[in-house]
Amino acid sequence: MTETVGVVAEDWLLGAELAPAVDGDPLAPLYSGAADGLLVLPFCPACGLALELEQRVCDGCATTGADWRPVDPRGTVHSVTMVHRLERGLVRARAPYPVADVEMAGGHRLVLTSLEPLPHPPAIGDAVSIGFRRLGDVAVPAFTARTTPHGEREDP
Amino acid sequence: MSARQSAIIGLGLTPMSTKPGGSAAELAARALRAALDDAGLAHTELDGLLVGSSQGVRPDRVGVTLAAQAGLGDLRLLEHVEIKGATTVAMVRRAQLAIRTGEARTVACVFADAPLRAAGGAGSTYARSGGNSGVRGLERASGVLGSVPTYALLAARWLAVTGGSPDDLGSVALAARAWAQGNPDAVQRTPLDADTYRASPMVSTPLRRLDCARPVNGAAAVVLSPDLPAARHTPVRVIGSGRAHPVRRRRAGDESWFGGGRAAVEDALAEAGLSRGDLDVLELYDPFTIVTLCLLEEYGFCGPGQAGPLARSGALAPGGALPTNTGGGQLSGFYLQGMTPLVEAIVQLRGDGGDRQVTGARTALVGGIGGRIDHHACLVLEAA
Ligand SMILES: [Zn+2]
Repeated sequence: MTETVGVVAEDWLLGAELAPAVDGDPLAPLYSGAADGLLVLPFCPACGLALELEQRVCDGCATTGADWRPVDPRGTVHSVTMVHRLERGLVRARAPYPVADVEMAGGHRLVLTSLEPLPHPPAIGDAVSIGFRRLGDVAVPAFTARTTPHGEREDP
Repeated sequence: MSARQSAIIGLGLTPMSTKPGGSAAELAARALRAALDDAGLAHTELDGLLVGSSQGVRPDRVGVTLAAQAGLGDLRLLEHVEIKGATTVAMVRRAQLAIRTGEARTVACVFADAPLRAAGGAGSTYARSGGNSGVRGLERASGVLGSVPTYALLAARWLAVTGGSPDDLGSVALAARAWAQGNPDAVQRTPLDADTYRASPMVSTPLRRLDCARPVNGAAAVVLSPDLPAARHTPVRVIGSGRAHPVRRRRAGDESWFGGGRAAVEDALAEAGLSRGDLDVLELYDPFTIVTLCLLEEYGFCGPGQAGPLARSGALAPGGALPTNTGGGQLSGFYLQGMTPLVEAIVQLRGDGGDRQVTGARTALVGGIGGRIDHHACLVLEAA
């Protein structure tokens, strides 16, 4: 949920000063993919192992480099918390917000908040899918409860 | 050169303040002076200094310039050690080895931190630090401000995997507070009961305010030397040391949030020639209640899934079978990273614990952790 104030769309959760660095950032390919609506994550160029976001040598086969490519946006909740401390000056939300460690179908794990305010967080093991919030000028991946084409919650 | 045996012969603390005041360097210099006085040494007798600081959070953290700031003379050993929260415990080993090899004779280890500022609380200090680049930048852009949400994710996962409950966390908080009541240096000594714990404000589920250590401005220092001063205090020897730096992958199929630290305890015990049952007190790093539970299991002091029942049984608390964090730990005592468990172990082994003294304590395990339980440094200490 974004609200428009003048021409600036503001994030539901945070102030724009928390927007990530993009230019020259180790996660630049993720953000440029996100700007196009794609979740782009790093893999070993040789053996295809899912790498951590700042990992640059494969722990499986020792190949250097990372191949960033779009992934299946579906995942499950590996862990989740509702943050009740609303840090003044940084958090715009007025109610507790979720943070989840989401395990993607391709094996990566990402710590993300939800796409929209979510009073009832998903449970560990629940199915989620990835969308994108806009924080300042940056598209940031966020999770949303996974629904079927009929709008029903899918079983994990 | 013959190997020289050393012992911890000096201990110095500043008052632990929950209010702003004092730079880290001023606090460090005061703790250092107190440790030298405690050991009966002049500052000119020190020829080694190891410095530990809080990382990343504040620009005024202490470093090797402390030697000049604290009025020391020429040194033969001077290092700023950095293994996050595991630093202090690792520094003591570094000092012991330096003395053993003759690099230095009398070595001080000091840690200071001053997160409390006139503007804003320490929570805000932490929430505002971390930057906006890399993985941390993405986490902060996702609302992970400060360290509580991170440890909350760890706690939620750990409770789910081990079948624990939030009351397990409360039992740890209550035990720490019960110990703190006997520690004049503890910053939180008000008696605590289960209802008060359950009414404590939620910070990030399942962690309440009373599950979190409260930052202080303060410093602590210890002095190691092969020269034992006559009849001042019981010298405390380092008889075992172990380290573990598990590289857990954030990838499907593994636990990302915990596991992999046990070798630090195994190695420390093996060097000491002791088993777990020989340890009189456990002094573990406890920035959050969940960490105490996690480490009890990870370090092999209970079976899988048994840390919660162990805490609920009262074993960790005064009078219990496994006296743990006997000064109130970081939770209720004071949060000076690895100095908290180290200082308390020294106090207990000297027999200076007063109202919280564990009768006949001769051996202690000291555990330091860094990062998100990514770095483990353990020592076994013994009253000489
Ligand atoms: Zn590979």
